[in-house]
Amino acid sequence: MTIETELRARASALLAAGTIDIFLGYRQGSNPLRVAPFVARTPAEAERLVWNAVCVPNLAGALQKHAARRVGVALKGCDARSVSQLLRQNQLQRERLHIIGVTCAGMADPEQLAAVAAGPVSGFEADGDELVLTVGSAVTRHARDGLLLTKCATCTSHTPELYDELLGAPVAAAPAVDRFATVRAFEALDAPARLAFWSEQFSKCTLCYACQTVCPLCYCKQCPLTLPRDDPRRQTREPTSVFSYHLMRAAHLAGRCTGCDECERVCPEEIPLSLICRKNEHDALPAHGATEDDRGPR
Amino acid sequence: MSEAFEPKILGLLCSWCAYGGADTAGVSRAQYPANIRIVRVMCSGRVDPLFIARAFENGADGVLVAGCHSGDCHYISGNSYATDRFTAFSGLLDFFGIDRRRLKLAWVSASEGTRFASVVAEMTEELRALGPLRLKVQS
Repeated sequence: MTIETELRARASALLAAGTIDIFLGYRQGSNPLRVAPFVARTPAEAERLVWNAVCVPNLAGALQKHAARRVGVALKGCDARSVSQLLRQNQLQRERLHIIGVTCAGMADPEQLAAVAAGPVSGFEADGDELVLTVGSAVTRHARDGLLLTKCATCTSHTPELYDELLGAPVAAAPAVDRFATVRAFEALDAPARLAFWSEQFSKCTLCYACQTVCPLCYCKQCPLTLPRDDPRRQTREPTSVFSYHLMRAAHLAGRCTGCDECERVCPEEIPLSLICRKNEHDALPAHGATEDDRGPR
Repeated sequence: MSEAFEPKILGLLCSWCAYGGADTAGVSRAQYPANIRIVRVMCSGRVDPLFIARAFENGADGVLVAGCHSGDCHYISGNSYATDRFTAFSGLLDFFGIDRRRLKLAWVSASEGTRFASVVAEMTEELRALGPLRLKVQS
C-alpha cells in the first residue's frame, strides 16, 4: 500500500468512527505538480486526499482556522514542528488533534520540476528515488535529490516529532549539515553592507503581506504591522516602512519561527526571507544563549 | 549638506527614574547636547520594539531607552523585561545592518542628573562618529 492509500483509509476510518470532525490534508491542485490544502468532512470526501512528492504547503496554519473542532491532520516533519510550537503558544489544543505523522525524505520543488519538464506536465509520480514526469507522450525520469526544496536539503526532522500514528518507511538520518552557514556568512559582512543588501532586497517588496498570511506562527487577529490599503506608505511602498515591516516581522517571530520557509516560498518577489528565518532559528537555540522555556518575545 | 552632521536621538525615558533624572539634570543645570528628543513612558518595559523601528523609519539616528536600575523598577520587573527584549532586538537590528550602538539601553535613577547628562553626551559623540543612518537614502 502506498502512503496515499493508507492515509485515505485511516482518514475515512477516523471520520466514520467519529473520532474527528474533519480531516485536513491535501487534494490535487490545478495541475499535477500542485497540491492544495483540503478539508475532508465525510469518509467519501477522504477519497480525494492525495500524498505525493510535492505536498509542499504547511498545514499548521490552516489548522488554526479549525481550532474549535476535532481535527485529524497529516503532517510532515517540518509541519509538525510548527504545530508543536503552536501548542506551546496555546493556540491549539492537543486533545482535539489526531496527528498522522508521515515520514518525508524531502519534497520536490514544483517550480524546478516545471522548469526541467519544458512543457505542460500531464502526469507526475515518484518512483523510489526518481521522479517521473509525463509531458504529452514523453516520459522523463529525474533524480529526486537535485530537485528538492532548499529547506529539505538541510532538514533534520524527516520523522515528525509529534504524532499519534506514523505512516511511511523510516528515512535514514541525513548527514549533519550546517544549517546556519548562510547566517554566519552574512553576519561576517559589515553593517553598511548588510543594510545595503536588505535595502536592495526590500526595494522589491510590494507589501502584499503574503509572507505574513502564510506564516503558521503569525496568529494575531490584528497586526500592528499591516498597513491599510489606503495608507500612503503602502501605496507608495515607502522604503523605510517596508524596512521596518520586515524588521518587526522578524522580531515578532523571534523564538517562534520553526524554519518551514513558507514565507520565502510564497514571496512573489523572491526576497530571501529564509535567511531571516535561519537567523531567528539560530538565535533561539540553547547553544546560542536561549533558555529552555524561551517562548519568544514577551 | 555643508552643515556638520547633528545626530537625532529619540529618548524613551521611564517616568519614575530616567525622566526624573533628566529633570534633575535640568534643575541642576547640567550641560548636555540638545540632540535628544524625549518621550516619557511609564516604564522601560512599556517600550515596544516597534517604537524603535518607527523611530529609525522616521529619521532618528539613534534611540536611547532609559529606565530604573535593576531592582528599582516601580513595577517590580519592567526593566528586566526591557533588558531581555532589547538584547534580542539589538541582535536583529545588527542583522539588518543597523549598527547596534544606535540602540542604547541605560539605567538612570531620578537623582542621577549628571549621569543622565553624560549618557546623552556619550551617545551623541558615538553617533556623530557613526554618521547618519540614511535608511531613506540607501533604499
